[in-house]
Amino acid sequence: MQGIIRTIRDGSGFDILLLGLALVYLVAFSAFPIIYNIIMSLQTVDMFTITSFKRPFVGLENYSTIFAQPIAATVLWNTVQFVVLSIVFQLSIGFGLALFFQQDFPGATYLRGLFLAGWIMPALVVGAIWKWLFAGDFGVINYVLTALGLTDDRIFWLSDPNVALYAVIIANIWLGIPFNMILLSVGLASIPRDVYEAAELDGAGPLERFRSITLPLMRAQLGAVISLGVIFTLQQFDLIAALTQGGPADSSNVAQYWSWQLSFQTYEISLGSAVSVLMILFVIIVAAAYVRSTRHEHSY
Amino acid sequence: MKRISHWIAAAALLISGAAQAEPVTLDIWTIDRPDQYMYLLKDEFEQAHPDIKLNIKTVQFRDMVNDLARATATGESPDVTYIDNPEVALFASRGLLLDLSAMLAESKVIKKDDIFPGPLSSVTWDDKIYGVPRGANTIALYYNADMFKAKGLDPDKPPRTWDELYAAAKKLNDPAKNVYGLAFSAVATEEGTFQFLPWLQMAGGDYNKVDTEGGEKVLNFWGKLIDEKLASPDTLIRSQYDSTGTFNAGNAAMAISGPWELPRMGREAKFDYRAALLPVPRDGATRASALGEGDNVILAKSEHPKEAFILLEFLYSKMPDVWNRFGFVPAANVQSNNPNNPAIYAVFEESMKYARNRGPHPEWPKISKAIYTAIQSSLTHQSDAKTALAAAQKQIDGVLND
Repeated sequence: MQGIIRTIRDGSGFDILLLGLALVYLVAFSAFPIIYNIIMSLQTVDMFTITSFKRPFVGLENYSTIFAQPIAATVLWNTVQFVVLSIVFQLSIGFGLALFFQQDFPGATYLRGLFLAGWIMPALVVGAIWKWLFAGDFGVINYVLTALGLTDDRIFWLSDPNVALYAVIIANIWLGIPFNMILLSVGLASIPRDVYEAAELDGAGPLERFRSITLPLMRAQLGAVISLGVIFTLQQFDLIAALTQGGPADSSNVAQYWSWQLSFQTYEISLGSAVSVLMILFVIIVAAAYVRSTRHEHSY
Repeated sequence: MKRISHWIAAAALLISGAAQAEPVTLDIWTIDRPDQYMYLLKDEFEQAHPDIKLNIKTVQFRDMVNDLARATATGESPDVTYIDNPEVALFASRGLLLDLSAMLAESKVIKKDDIFPGPLSSVTWDDKIYGVPRGANTIALYYNADMFKAKGLDPDKPPRTWDELYAAAKKLNDPAKNVYGLAFSAVATEEGTFQFLPWLQMAGGDYNKVDTEGGEKVLNFWGKLIDEKLASPDTLIRSQYDSTGTFNAGNAAMAISGPWELPRMGREAKFDYRAALLPVPRDGATRASALGEGDNVILAKSEHPKEAFILLEFLYSKMPDVWNRFGFVPAANVQSNNPNNPAIYAVFEESMKYARNRGPHPEWPKISKAIYTAIQSSLTHQSDAKTALAAAQKQIDGVLND
């Protein structure tokens, strides 16, 4: 007994205790829901059997049902566009702003802090605000566009099936820029000044310095930001719920919202689970890439 | 825990030997806010029935089906709850609701024959009755009489047919002043289906038969209104409440919605607003209207079915006041006490006669989704009306023949 207490207080027992706590947490709050979700995706589940395990197993039938749905291809393509476009613009604008605020000018740090305001706001609130901005008949964006003479006719951002997905993407880009900027700013700050000075003495111009110093030294951060971006973008639910609810005619529907619709609008919980399992698989691949990119992190 | 407290209560009763009955507490679920229906009637009920106490819990409308399903699975369901009309069949078909047929037959308060056929069918499943409508609502055509006059239309002769509706919308439409002819909702939710079904029923068809010529006519008519910008393209994403908001603000000359709009309309609309029956495809065509609102039901597992039924009778007895106090149309043939907005009340009261239930079917949400998906893909021209309705019919058949 004494021995156990001693090892816990001051020895390998303490390590095991800490490890155990983390493991218990992970099993209870991550592993269990994921496994439960996988099981549900292999069964026939409706709301009334959600608390019991005794449900008929149907193998991969739910998965084939999902892919047989007429909107499956639309949703897949929308999800790809949503993720890729969101990340490309979040990253490039975020990186640009990070570089900009890296310059020494009065108030740079305060302004950079202000940018975080968007990130702090809940996506549902951001969605509500963008909904007003995008409104077809009395929205601010349409007013500005027509006042500047850029468009003759109003653009129905949220109800035109050719535009709705891009409206959601624009709002999502806006929401994600601060996060990208802050993470990349931290990376930029950790690059030693003298490397740049040495390069400048050797006659390297700004573009050359960016290409051969900044980019290679930011590799780990960029990898991390991209992987986290993919995960966050695939989690983006509130914004879609607030803006378009996947509509009109599923033109802005993406996998995560579809999964919710199946589970909680038509109560086909097993189908909803199947969609989310597919998303989990994809996120695991991205997460593996993220872990690899952080492993390559090096100090100077 | 509940079980234990019951035992303690029973033991206490035995020991004291008191003859007086313990007050029974009924657990009630409702979608009402504290200034609405159930909360307002709680005190009146408890005064009239001192031996029954009510313990009310509010559940969000959109969570009700989920929460109730989970509660019945874990054995924590309430005694009495609200259920939206099209969802009654879901719970009744699984034996989760108490069959009220016998109690209703003996009731002195609720006369089954007084309940309008639409509301009655919404609580009927397999020839048994599982609930009592708390009221009803339906949709009609609101119109801005001032704009009618300004555009040379006779405000005493609102459009009666689709052609007249189109002509009026065209005349009232005024893009320069940001005024659309008509506001309605084709949103991709239950509300879109709710607005669409009466049109379909009038033109020929119903929830189980949507791929009809009439169905195509409706979608093409709606499409024409939106394509010609007589109704805002945002009709596709606006709920009924949001659409009617544009009418109240003077940005639409007519609006299709229900009596729940009236309290806000009274505050916001600074013009002479009136209501008319939903226009029909042509003169003399069969009328139809949507049936909304929900029902009070008793859960099959309730330990106090008798007291719960007393509550249902009490709630039903308030039917003559529901228009003025809660914004419902009576669901039964009763005389309303001095209805506010009497002209509009008369329109809704008449509409009620044509109101048809959605379903009933235990898998209503899937049917509804097939319908609003067809509406959306047709109105956005992703497919023509015929193809969209055929696709919906295939899905609906899949549900119905399951």
